[in-house]
Amino acid sequence: MTSPTIHAPVETLVGLGQIAAGQAPKRMKAVLGSCIGLALYHPRLKTGALAHIVLPDSAGRTGPPGKFADTAVGHMIEMLRQLDTPVHGLTARLTGGANMFGGNGPIRIGEENIKAVTQSLRRASIRVVGQDVGGNCGRRIVFDCSSGQITVEKAGQPSRSL
Amino acid sequence: MNPIHDDVRKTLDVLHELFTSATHDASAAMCRWTDGLISVTLDEVRRTPLEEVAQTLELGDELLTMVVLTLEGEVGGNLILVFDDVNGRQLAAKLLRQPIGSTPEWSPLEMSALTETGNILGCAYVNALTRLIGTELVPSAPYFIQDFGASVLQQAMMAQAVSTDELLLCRIGFHREDEELDWHVIFVPTPAMQEAMTRSLHAAP
Repeated sequence: MTSPTIHAPVETLVGLGQIAAGQAPKRMKAVLGSCIGLALYHPRLKTGALAHIVLPDSAGRTGPPGKFADTAVGHMIEMLRQLDTPVHGLTARLTGGANMFGGNGPIRIGEENIKAVTQSLRRASIRVVGQDVGGNCGRRIVFDCSSGQITVEKAGQPSRSL
Repeated sequence: MNPIHDDVRKTLDVLHELFTSATHDASAAMCRWTDGLISVTLDEVRRTPLEEVAQTLELGDELLTMVVLTLEGEVGGNLILVFDDVNGRQLAAKLLRQPIGSTPEWSPLEMSALTETGNILGCAYVNALTRLIGTELVPSAPYFIQDFGASVLQQAMMAQAVSTDELLLCRIGFHREDEELDWHVIFVPTPAMQEAMTRSLHAAP
C-alpha cells in the first residue's frame, strides 16, 4: 500500500496593487519595498485577505483594488464578506513601508504608506495585532490562512513571524 | 485600428529610438571602463501592468546585487543596474585586477568597483539624455544594494505609479564578446521625463 502524497499548498503571488482572499490552507506571498503588505484575518473562521498596497491616497482615482491605502481596506472587507466573513472579529498585520534608497527628499513613500494604512484600519475599527514596518530593507512575506501568521524574511536576517 | 493603441505604439517607438541613441553612448563608456570587455544594447522599451512588472523583468523573489542611480527632479527617473552575485563579483575582480573574493560578504573594495561601474554607466546615460532632450539632468551618488530586486523596483517606480497603472520601463542588456550576460539595467523614467523625451524627438528637424 503506497502512502498518500502530501502536497504543500501552492502560494498565491500577490502583485502590486492586487488583493487575494481565501480560506485555510491557502497561503499568499508578496515581495515588498516601500509598498505595504496588509493581511486581514478572522481567527475563528480561518479566512483572510492579503493586499499589496502601493500608494497612500487615491485622491478619488480608480485603479487596481489594492493600489491605494484609503480604498484597499474597503475592497478587502468586501472580498471577505463574499466568503461569509464579517468585519467584526477581523485582525490586521502590516509589513513593508521601507525606504530602499535615497531618502533625503521631501516624500518618503514608505512612511506615508504606513500612516495611511494605519488610519484606514482605525476608521474600519480593525485591530492591528502585529507589524514589521519601516527600515531600509526589502521583505519577502508569506501569509498563512491556517494560522493567520505572516512570515517575514529580510536579507541577512533570520525570518520572523507576526 | 484603435487610435489609443496606435498612440501608445508611436510613443514606444519614439522612446525606443531615443534610448537606442543613449545606449550607444553608454556602451562606449562601458567598453572603455572594462578595457573593451563589456558592451550594452537596448533590449526593450515596454509598458507593463503594475502587478506584472516584477515577473516581466524576471526579478523573481531572490536576493540580487544592484547599483541604483537616481536622476533627481521632476524630469528624472531611476537607473537600476542588476547583477547576480557571482557575475557581479567576477566583474569586480576583473576591474580590480585581483582574484575573485572568497568570503560570502563583499569587501568594501568590491562594492566600490561595482558602484563605480554604475556611476560610469549612469553618467553616460545622463549625458546622452541631457544632450538628446535638451534638459539638464542631475544624477545622485550611486547606492550599492543587496536585496530583493522587486523591493528596490517598487520605490523606483513610485513617480509613475501615482498617475498610471501601466509602467514604462526600459531594459538594457550586457554582452561579453558574443555572450549575453545575466546583467541588466532597468531605467524607470518619471512621467515628466517621458514627456520631455517625446517632445525632443517631435521637435527634432
